[in-house]
Amino acid sequence: MAEAASIGRSPLMDWFDKGIGLAFPFIVALVVAAVVLLAIGENPLDVFALMFAESFGTQRRIAATLSAATPLLFTGVATAICFRSGVFNVGVEGALVIGGLCAAFIGFTLPAALGLTLIPLAFGFAALVSAIWLLVPGFLLARYEVDEVVSTLMLNFVAFGITGYLVNGPLLSEISGNNVTPLVHEAAQLPRLMPPSTLHTGFLIGVLVVILYGVWARRTPSGFEAALVGQNKRFSSAVGISIPATIILVMVLSGVISGLGGASHALGQLHRFADGFSPGYGFTGMAVALLGRNNAIGIFLGAVLFGALASAGTTVQLFSDIPLDIVNIIEGTVMIFAVVELGRISLKRWRARR
Amino acid sequence: MIVDQVIAASLTLTTPILLAAMGGLVNRQGGIVNIALDAKMLAGAFVAVIVSSMTGGWFVAVLSAAVAGALVGYLFSLVITRANANMIVAGLGLNVLVAGFIGFILNWVYDSSGTLRLPDVQLLPKFMPDFVSGIPVVGLALSELEPLTVFAWITVFTLPFLLANTRIGLWVRATGNAPQVARAMGISGRNVQDFSTAFAGFFSGLGGAHLALASIGLFNEGLTAGRGFIALAAFYFGRDRPVTTALVCLLFGFLDATQIRMQTAGLPPKLIGTIPYLMVLVALCIAGWRNHRRKAVAP
Repeated sequence: MAEAASIGRSPLMDWFDKGIGLAFPFIVALVVAAVVLLAIGENPLDVFALMFAESFGTQRRIAATLSAATPLLFTGVATAICFRSGVFNVGVEGALVIGGLCAAFIGFTLPAALGLTLIPLAFGFAALVSAIWLLVPGFLLARYEVDEVVSTLMLNFVAFGITGYLVNGPLLSEISGNNVTPLVHEAAQLPRLMPPSTLHTGFLIGVLVVILYGVWARRTPSGFEAALVGQNKRFSSAVGISIPATIILVMVLSGVISGLGGASHALGQLHRFADGFSPGYGFTGMAVALLGRNNAIGIFLGAVLFGALASAGTTVQLFSDIPLDIVNIIEGTVMIFAVVELGRISLKRWRARR
Repeated sequence: MIVDQVIAASLTLTTPILLAAMGGLVNRQGGIVNIALDAKMLAGAFVAVIVSSMTGGWFVAVLSAAVAGALVGYLFSLVITRANANMIVAGLGLNVLVAGFIGFILNWVYDSSGTLRLPDVQLLPKFMPDFVSGIPVVGLALSELEPLTVFAWITVFTLPFLLANTRIGLWVRATGNAPQVARAMGISGRNVQDFSTAFAGFFSGLGGAHLALASIGLFNEGLTAGRGFIALAAFYFGRDRPVTTALVCLLFGFLDATQIRMQTAGLPPKLIGTIPYLMVLVALCIAGWRNHRRKAVAP
């Protein structure tokens, strides 16, 4: 759309257009949040300023923000990689949870003597299992046209059920209460970057994933073809791109990345798997991908933004007794308005009239 | 005795899923996959508890819950039909948004995190005369009957007629199944879809009211426990047919009611809980495989 509009326009206008497009859902969300805050008699500007300070104010708060953003880097890319090919994969959440469990499993069952090799083993196993997990709906879609939205949504609940059973049964830690596996060996824990903050090397892996995604999407034939499938299926198959192969490719890649994300969260953040492993990282990742318009830089910024909201939300609740749920209100609004075409359509019409 | 209890519990646990599924299937026949049934159930349950406590009347509470659900549904529909939002993402977003709003109000107005316990909440009345409990096997289930369960099952058996023989029923089906025909007939697809989404919200709201007012009389953030998605699974498995869907709901209700008993038999409840979702996956696979074969046979 931006391409079509840019013919005969100044590049400045085009950038302005893009910027508004990217910021639109977030602006709406801030307005909604501001109305809610006004309704309870708080000054929204004060609250936003406090939230900003709590997420970027000091080195420690920045570390907390980036730490909260880490899983979102993975889930954002895992979602975007499918969305840009027109595959509506909503199963990143389930794949992340499965990956987390697999990584933790490797981390506490294999002998500690393996030392640092535990980490690649755990990441590899998590990526493998999560890839197979999403290969199933990918195959069903590619071969039998089984609606991927419903199949991946259902698989999420299956993932919660299986992992919930395992951490309460066969994999339950003997020493620490309910719903958790044993801790992984110390050698399998990802090093912390800025102690005492929980920011860990998983963040760097996440950034690497985002960069690799950006290179793949913009600079490789395979990434280009995948985007083409998303834009026009008939054209793509006419020029010889295999649609089923593309669907399977993006679903497997999405699974691999979700698995890496789960492994990073298990080995870096929790050092184990626990019931309620993910407070909806997969769904927030969807908001991140939509806000970032499937673009690598956009995804990075989106992940940091939602990480900031999450880390600021907790402390804002502590200091100003504004409920943490304001974060959910913002997230939900962003998701809804990221897919609304109201603004862009009217802009297009306005252009057409001139 | 155990049989009596299982039947009664299954019937009670079926009702909320059944109500939401009836709404959802009409919505899907109208061409909208409503992934936000859970949000509307949650909103319905929340409103039901508050209104029931304020007015002390179950009927007003149930009606307000339904209207609240319908209102959320209508607004949701506008986002889809007028602003061309993707219904899946918008639906998932609405689930997050509604949960956020409710949590916010809960925290701010009632100063509680998670659970809302209010005085004088009136529960749904059990209206059957006392002697029915003496009937063997189904006696307990009959004596536990309340208006919403009865209403849900009346809906199951009238909905096929309404969809097949009334003007609005035909409009809904035409909009979902043959949009071109609907347009050619001069039906406003958007308005019909808005109606069907509001309808789904209305019924999900009723389902939420049942969850809150059938026996516990309080609201909790985790009250729906994904039942909106179970309802989605039910009408997907029941292929949008009211009676088939109702039977599937009954099966899910039965699974829900027997989970705890099966645990003592060595079957973990968490795994039993995945059965509805696995059933949908299997149903999707079979349907996809059939279509595939049909296409392969056709020239």
